[in-house]
Amino acid sequence: MKNKVIIYAFVLPMGLLFIGPMLFTFLSSFKGNTEIFSAPFSLPEVFRFENYIVAWNEANMSRYFINSIVISLATVIILAFVSSMAAYVLARFNFKINRFLSLFFLLGMMLPMHTVLVPVAYMIGLLGLKNNLLALVLLFVAFSLSFSILVLTRFMQSINLSLEEAAIIDGASYFQIYWRIILPMSVPAISTISIFNFLAAWNNILFPLLFINDDRFKPIALGLLNFSGERGSEFGPLMAAIIITITVPLIVYLLFQEKVESGLAAGAVKE
Amino acid sequence: MIIKSRKEKSKILLFTLPALFIYIVFLVIPMIGALYFSVMNWNGIRGVPLEYVGLDNYINVFTDKSFLLSLKNMFNMVFFSVLFHTPIALLLAVAINSKFKGYRLFKVVYFVPTIFPLTAIGLLWYFIFMPNGSLNSFLELIGLSELVTGWLINPSTAMGTIIFVNIWAGIGYYMVILLAGLTTIPKEIYEAADIDGATPSKKFFHITIPMLKPIITLCILMDIIGTIKVFDLIFVMTEGGPNGLTNLPTTLMYYEAFRYDNYGVGSAIGIIILVIALVLTIGSESIMNRKGRS
Repeated sequence: MKNKVIIYAFVLPMGLLFIGPMLFTFLSSFKGNTEIFSAPFSLPEVFRFENYIVAWNEANMSRYFINSIVISLATVIILAFVSSMAAYVLARFNFKINRFLSLFFLLGMMLPMHTVLVPVAYMIGLLGLKNNLLALVLLFVAFSLSFSILVLTRFMQSINLSLEEAAIIDGASYFQIYWRIILPMSVPAISTISIFNFLAAWNNILFPLLFINDDRFKPIALGLLNFSGERGSEFGPLMAAIIITITVPLIVYLLFQEKVESGLAAGAVKE
Repeated sequence: MIIKSRKEKSKILLFTLPALFIYIVFLVIPMIGALYFSVMNWNGIRGVPLEYVGLDNYINVFTDKSFLLSLKNMFNMVFFSVLFHTPIALLLAVAINSKFKGYRLFKVVYFVPTIFPLTAIGLLWYFIFMPNGSLNSFLELIGLSELVTGWLINPSTAMGTIIFVNIWAGIGYYMVILLAGLTTIPKEIYEAADIDGATPSKKFFHITIPMLKPIITLCILMDIIGTIKVFDLIFVMTEGGPNGLTNLPTTLMYYEAFRYDNYGVGSAIGIIILVIALVLTIGSESIMNRKGRS
């Protein structure tokens, strides 16, 4: 009984510290400017849903939102195939170059994005790939490869060999084995890395900041920043834009709670 | 699985080609490029030739007061993150693990900030900390109006405010990792301690903490390396201001290269960030391994 009191005395104030700012933003997203400042902690007098309409339409959040969906999904899909193919080789075949390749891919985890910004910017400029979503996607893929390959290699090493051996006896090619056996059996690990990679692409602003200056191609995190810089005095719609930006990660988390947590724990190696 | 012939070997290596291509083009070559640019003087305009300056960029960086300040900010941020992240996260994880009524909801509440874009987190807190923001309204409401200040504009509070937001945004992450660790501790140990009449605090210090030691060390390691890479929060909340007081090496790198067009200096800072990250990763990993063996 006494223990319970101590626990609640700790988790409730902490809970307030976490939910408070988010709740404040959520409530403000339905208010007008004066109400945000005159009554910051009360419920909105009237729920101004028009703030969301302003953010979605006039501030272009709908476009940024769709851009981010496209960018994040493309990143996830490319990574799933590219990293699972590489992981198949690293997990299943023993030859000299294998150990070298594993180490080579692993090194990428240590590289901070900031280190390569100048050369990447130079390259993107040289190739005329500014405002090109595919270039952005490939950069995200490059920076998530190490983590994805590591997680998938570990997972594939734990899969039982017998199915593959049977397939080889039946004369299956390596591609058939990958496509029909390895890929389907790796779905749990692929979904874990995919959620992690999705969130990483959704949240990143560093590469878009440098390579996307056309409003039509901005992803949502950058679009939000843009909105606050240009029309920072429209607080209601701005708060609505913040809520729109965090909705997708929130939904992803609520749907795939365990996958998100295991993905972050696996990503621990990366951070 | 055994590779029979050279032909087979080259066939299977084809599977690594797409990954290798993207990895080399967008990561390995730029890495080499960063070393190259860091010994060059260049204003970023194509057609203007690059000038070789040797280690001048590095010397400039290390004699530059604003860089030294950014390093100090970084070490402060790392220090306070380590001081608060893991201990608070551990207490929350232990509380959640006791499965009190409503623990699932609390877990979500503590955790979700870690998966939101830091741009959104930064803006959210920006509006709380701005001079006519809700924190100051709240302070006036409870009669602490002498504490009212422009939290992110005032030089004496700006960095501390950012450090606070960084701590807030990360706690849930470490909580989830520690929570995963807690579930691996066998219940029998606690039951045996109960029979011996151990108090909850005794159990916490003599069972929980020693059993979690490897994961606690991992959290601290991740915290250090993660904090070095913080960028978005500063960029969104203060842009390094007031007067460059809240810069980190990451933001300084960005401003040097892409705002002031000193691409060589920016690259040099980028390399320094890499070296710091490498040294701290390898250093703390070797400490961890030594502890693990003994």
